[in-house]
Order: sequence, then structure tokens, then C-alpha cells
Amino acid sequence: MPTWNAPRANSTIDTLFLPQPARVPNTVRSISEYRELVAVLVWKNITVRYKQAYLGISWAILKPLALMLVFTLVRSFIGIPSGNVPYPILAFAALLPWIFFQESASEGVQSVVGNAALIRKIYFPREVFPITGIITKLVELGINALILAGMMIWYRMVPTVQVAWVPVIIMFTVLTSLTIAFAGAAINVYYRDIGAALPVILSLLMYASPVIYPLELVKHRLLAEHAAGGWSELLYTLYTLNPLAGIIESFQNVVLRGTPPDWAALAPGALLVAVALPVSYIIFKRAEAYFADAI
Amino acid sequence: MTKPVIEVNHVSKAFRLGQLRSLKQTAIEAIAHLRGRPVHRRPLFRALDDVDFQVGQGEVLGIIGHNGAGKSTLLKIIAGITTPTGGDVVVRGKVAPLIEVGAGLVPDLTGRENIFVNATLLGMRRAEIKRKFDDIVAFAGLDEFIDTPIKRYSSGMKVRLGFAIATSIEAEILIVDEVLAVGDLAFQRRCFDRMERMIKSDGRTVLLVSHNMRQVERICKRAILLEHGHVEQDGPPPQVCDELYRRSERLSREAADVKFKSRRRQSSGEIDLGDVKLLGPGGEPVTEITLGGAITICVSYTVRSVVTRPVFGMGIHTPDFLYLATAYSDTQLHCDDLAPGTYELTFHIPRFPFLPGVYCVRVGVALGNLYSTAFYAENVASFQVVASPVRWAETMREGFLPLDGMWLLKATANSQHASA
Repeated sequence: MPTWNAPRANSTIDTLFLPQPARVPNTVRSISEYRELVAVLVWKNITVRYKQAYLGISWAILKPLALMLVFTLVRSFIGIPSGNVPYPILAFAALLPWIFFQESASEGVQSVVGNAALIRKIYFPREVFPITGIITKLVELGINALILAGMMIWYRMVPTVQVAWVPVIIMFTVLTSLTIAFAGAAINVYYRDIGAALPVILSLLMYASPVIYPLELVKHRLLAEHAAGGWSELLYTLYTLNPLAGIIESFQNVVLRGTPPDWAALAPGALLVAVALPVSYIIFKRAEAYFADAI
Repeated sequence: MTKPVIEVNHVSKAFRLGQLRSLKQTAIEAIAHLRGRPVHRRPLFRALDDVDFQVGQGEVLGIIGHNGAGKSTLLKIIAGITTPTGGDVVVRGKVAPLIEVGAGLVPDLTGRENIFVNATLLGMRRAEIKRKFDDIVAFAGLDEFIDTPIKRYSSGMKVRLGFAIATSIEAEILIVDEVLAVGDLAFQRRCFDRMERMIKSDGRTVLLVSHNMRQVERICKRAILLEHGHVEQDGPPPQVCDELYRRSERLSREAADVKFKSRRRQSSGEIDLGDVKLLGPGGEPVTEITLGGAITICVSYTVRSVVTRPVFGMGIHTPDFLYLATAYSDTQLHCDDLAPGTYELTFHIPRFPFLPGVYCVRVGVALGNLYSTAFYAENVASFQVVASPVRWAETMREGFLPLDGMWLLKATANSQHASA
């Protein structure tokens, strides 16, 4: 017979960081136990979102396509080098992981507050909500990947064996989104400021990521031309501390350029996520027990 | 003896009253705290205070108490929805929380889709849902609407669907929070049958929160009375329910005493009311009498100017001013003019007829042939009737008077299924 022990705690609800042991080792087990629940909730999210929309799920592809067209238009005024890859497909390949990250992070942050009714009534591990939010966006990413494949056929680009890296890159993007989603969702329960601030922060982050312009440009300016003098190397490391820099560059590498991922650009961001994700998860688990009271 | 299925060990739950303030305020206070300055803390409210009990396998436990006594908080802690701030809870077995049926129904999805989503949320496996699908639909009586989005359902249909899903879970422990008071009568009947079958024949452990004492008395083997977050009583349902009745009547009597100050009162100035005393059989002041007991209402009047042929009236009403009975003095007392002075009027009721509850007294004086009102006041005193032998059902909830009569039951036609 399964035994469930309610966690012990001796604090009150308005303390965010509660002296309660986070049940980290149980996570993998409980997530697999609840995978049916996650699957059903993902299906529900997608069904509900597009049920009464005439164009259905095609709305998911409209955003990257529209942004790609805008970027291409902007590029005709200001010169952005795109190497030997046509700019539209380069931009689309950058938008693919970027939009996935942006939407899954905000979906994850809103997921707990958005399911307030359930949280007050039924118990299951609360990480189901951010994870479900992110997997929902994974489905939309898959659809956009089909569009990218179509564009590659149009431009007669043949992928190389490097494409096998794509799942790894996407997995890293998922972990990056979860880093923001866990802590963000937990704090958002107490302070809705997070939910309001996140879209602003994320849209600023887009300009700090190689979405409109390729990473090659940043690399060239800082590492080759030393545009910032002695600070150039440090600035480049700071730039790549943003996990999206490595993710976008590597995604373009393996899909379009047929070269391996840019490990040097990935490393600082990966290090950051490796440190921040456990912290973010512990914040989430400690706040979790009081979601029902505070929400 | 096997281990208890549910152990609630010294559980407390405290909330901070008031609102969580803005991020800025929190930051300012955090800084003040770090610098050792005193910070303003919101007061604590103890929803549960050292609640400690155990529930054995197959036990059916009723939890009763006034609104805000902490019943729902307790159920939420046992169901794992929220965490206690002190103590801990051990639950051995799968819990089916019927805390609010229909939580998580999605308006845009059809009944069929909702069955899958909701049952999964409640912890059912896909195979299990498929197996029980027809049963759920049949129980909810939604055959023809099952492919309609539930936003087009009536509220009764939604409740039926929610209940049908929730009760189809195979769990060792059922947590029920007053869900039976929903739907039309026919559906309530079916809910009851299903609940009773789950409780009686399947040998499940059940926690039932209810305001319906008859329900608790019928279904439960044991009851707990919660008040202000404490377990006040734990024992057989009749005693515990009786205790709750006593307490709720005391509460409404206290409420009546408060109203005492804002009662309706009219006076022409000729006659005024002094003390009102309630006396028991031995002449001692009382606030409580037993069912069918004697009570004497003793009123003192101050007459300021000569009044002609006064008729005194005395009546009984409920705390919410429903007049129950009135008596006039003119059939027994024949007085002509009353000179100024102080008089004491008593009215003796040898056998107070009303069922246990709280009752109030109204008094009045009418003058002369025209019966013009010289004085009138409501709610001048209140007292409580309690049941002497423990018969909790006989209360004001059942009416006002015990109804005497003769019962007879006989068959008028042979029923097909009747066994000889």
C-alpha cells in the first residue's frame, strides 16, 4: 500500500523559503508516475486553445513566419550578413528555438496561477503544471519544424548527419525554460509582478540573443575586431552566458550549415543552467506546499 | 490490530490574516528585518490547533462543526492539497477526494473529453477510465449529451457528471465534503445509494463533513466535533451531534441577547416596563428549561398615571421574530383602574410546549374599551429549551411542536417482490 507523508514544516505561508525538505529524489519517479496526467493535460491545452479557432493550430506557425518576414524586410534597409545561408531561412531557424523558449517560459510561469481552481481542489505534484505548459509548446515547435523542413526543400538545402544533435539542443532549451518556469511560477503565486514583468524581460532578451542577427556577427566584432578593446573577451563570455546564444547558433549550425554545435558558445549558458535549475526547482518545491493557501 | 489508515498527529494550521502586500512592501520589511528593526507582522489565525485523531480501516467518521470551525481545512490537509504548519498526517492508501466535485471540468470540452481529463486528474489510469466510461455516463444520465461541450450543460448536469466521475475512483479512502446536497431529488437519491454502497459493502474508510446531522447519524460510526480548530468531542454520533446542537443554540441565544438592545419598543408614557425575570419551577431565575418543563415569566410595570382597564399580553417568538403563541390576561384578570405605582405581573406556563431551541418573550399592555396600546416590547427576554433525554432530532429544525399521533402501516396490495 503506498504511503504518503505530508511534509513537515514549522513556518507560515508568507515565507517563501520554507524550512521543508524538498523531495528532489522522488521527482523522476513521480513524474513518470504522472506522465499520463501530463499527456492528458497537454492534449487538453491544445484542444481547448484551438477548438473554436477557424484556422486551428496553424496560428502556431503564424508568429515565426510573420516575424521572419519582418526581419527580412528590415534587413533590406540595414545590412545584416548571413554568411552563405539565405537570410529568411537563417532567421526562421533562429526564431524556432527562440519562440519555443519564450512561449514555454511564459506558459510555465503562468501555469500555476492559471490552474488555481485545480490547485485548491486536487492534489498531485505541482511541477506537472510547468512541465505540461512546456510540453504543450513542444508540440507547436514540432509543427514549426515541419515548416522549416519545407523551407529547406525550397532552398534545396540538404541536412547533414549533424541534424542528430537537434534533440539534444531542444532538450537543453527545455531545461532553460524550466529554470525560468519553476522559480517564476512559484514566485508568481505570491507576487503577480513576475507574470507582468516576464513578457517585457523576454522581449528585451530577444535583442540580446542572435535572433535577428547571427552570432557570427557578435563573434567577429568582439573576438576578431576587439571592438570593446580589452573587455572584448569578457563581453563575449557574458553574451554567451545567455543560454539562447549557444542554442540558436548551434541549431543553425546543425540544421543549416551542417557543422557541429558551437560548444564554446554553449558552455557558459550550460553552466548557468546547471547551477540555476536545481535552485529554481528547490524554490518551487518549497513554495509548492503553500500554493493552495496563497493563490 | 492493524495500523490506522489515517493518522492526524497534532496538526496545526495557521494563516496570516489580511493581504499579502506588494513586493515593495515585502522588500522594505525584509531590509528592516535584516537591520534588526521591528517589523509589522500580520496577526496569525489558527484554523486548526493541535488536532489529533486516528481513523481505522473501514471506519466511517463524520466531522461536524460550525462554519469556520476548520473542517474543510482539515480535509484539505488529509487530501494533501495544503500542508499543515505543525504536526503531520499519515495516510495509508489511495484517497478519493470528493471535496468539490466538478473541480477541473473544462467548459470547452465535451462530456466525453471531460470524463477522460477529470478522471485522470483524480488519479485514474486510462484503461480504468475506459472500463468505467459507460458506467459513468449511465450514472450521470448524460447519454445523449456526452458529445456536447459542457459549457452548454445545465449546472445540474455538470454536477452529476462531476459526481459520477469522482465516485468511480477505486480508492481505499473517501473524503466527502457535503457533496450530497446537490442535484435534483432523484439524483440525490442515487448519490445516497451509491455512497451508502461504497461505505457499507465495500468496507472503505470514509471521512464525511456535513451539516446534515441525520446524515451523520445514519452513516457514521463515529463523529468528531470541531470548534475553533479544536477537537471538542470525539465519540458516537448521537452524543456529538447533540453537543453541536447545544452549542449552536447557545450561539443563537447570544445573538438574541445582542438584539435585545435593538428590540422594538413603544410606550405611550402612561406605563413602563421594569425588570423581566424568568423563573423555574422552584422560583429560581433560569435561562434554560428542559423540554416540557415549567417556566414563569415575571414582569414588573411602573404605572405613571392612572390607567383604565388594562389588558396584559404576553407572547413567545423565535429569535427571528416569528410569533408562535400569545396569551391575554382579560379572561383571567379583571382589573379596573390601576393607580400609579409599581406592579409585578407573573405568567406561569406549567408545560412549555415547544421543541428545543431558543425562544424570546414579547409583552404588551392595552387600555380601555378601545384596546389602545399603552406599551409594547419585543424580545424582552430569551431562554433556551433543551432536550432532557438525549433525543437530538427533536429540535426547532423539525418544526416547533412535537406532533402527537398514532402510526399504522399495512399492505393494501401484494407487492411482487415482497417475501413471505
